[in-house]
Amino acid sequence: MVAALMMHPLPYHDTKPVGAADFYFAINATFRFIREKLGSDALSAYWQDLGREYMAPVSHLWKVGGLPAVAEYWRAFFDAEPGAKVTVTMEKDRVLLDIQTCPAIRHLRAGGRTIDPGFCQHCYCVSEAAAEKAGFAVRVKGGNGQCQQTFSPRDQAFGPQIMENIEKAL
Amino acid sequence: MIGCYDFCGHYEWTFEWLRQQGGDDLVHQFWDKAIGQDSQQHAAALIAEKGFSGMKEYWAHTLAEEAAGYTFAEDPGVVRIDMHECPSKGFLLLNGLEQYSDYCDHCIGWIGPMMKKAGFQIHHEHNHCGKCWWEFRRSSDSSPASDTEKLAGKNDVRLLADWATKDQQIDVFRNAAHSTDDGSPFRGRIRYSGLSGKVICKATLRAP
Repeated sequence: MVAALMMHPLPYHDTKPVGAADFYFAINATFRFIREKLGSDALSAYWQDLGREYMAPVSHLWKVGGLPAVAEYWRAFFDAEPGAKVTVTMEKDRVLLDIQTCPAIRHLRAGGRTIDPGFCQHCYCVSEAAAEKAGFAVRVKGGNGQCQQTFSPRDQAFGPQIMENIEKAL
Repeated sequence: MIGCYDFCGHYEWTFEWLRQQGGDDLVHQFWDKAIGQDSQQHAAALIAEKGFSGMKEYWAHTLAEEAAGYTFAEDPGVVRIDMHECPSKGFLLLNGLEQYSDYCDHCIGWIGPMMKKAGFQIHHEHNHCGKCWWEFRRSSDSSPASDTEKLAGKNDVRLLADWATKDQQIDVFRNAAHSTDDGSPFRGRIRYSGLSGKVICKATLRAP
């Protein structure tokens, strides 16, 4: 069992193949609660801590396995997210995620939920914090249901992340 | 992105993050407001509208989606759930994740206030190892918790050999509406050792 878990591209492993989509409601509600109770800066700090601490095993996989491990992780990740339509492309010096249907935004809309306006920023903040520990950077463009994310070595990143390039979720 | 596949992992991690920001009180507010009133608003609406049948409708959907091992039982005026394999705690045990002191408290933390608003109260026990049971009755119903087997028959989780083992702690809630309900004999929470039955702690007394 332990060996099987260690070989899986997702460090946290479940017995069922895909997650329960209603949990996107809780993720969205968590962001709103922290923003309202502790403020936007605290929400950014929460996302960064999540990326550095909870996702530390992911960072480790990426650090050890390099860009192929980054690509493998995201393929397995989106395979386990219900309703996701995502193309993961491995290039020589980067991994591209083309998210045609974000499973979270899709389910939140289908459920008639008010989406936290900064919802899409969590992708950048969490992934950047996790990637930094592995020597990578991520840049995000788009959002609100469709976006492009590029993972590359930090010394080859395409300039700083422009937060205005991440759309407000509606 | 954080996803729903490993949701229980970052959900549990978040409890401890919140505790470090604002103590257990902030965690309890999170369970009530963010989970009960926001995330699970569909459950609150269903149960407020349909009562006992709404409970069965809600949990039949959500526990199937989460692939839980559970049974329903009912008698007039009461619905009971016996959770044999909690998928949520099971995920944490499978992956060796434990940041917060009592993950299992989150359920009564959001279900308790929701049920109180809808006019119901709860008898509940959890063993911290993926097994628990619940009984929901109207707030005006002073019936004690059912005896073992009476409602759930052979499905009663209390019959399992690993329900209460050595060093295992059982948390007990009676007529409860929150994770911090008091520890009096007829309202609230105690924790006892599974094998000896010795009471380990009682929560701080609160006004009903």
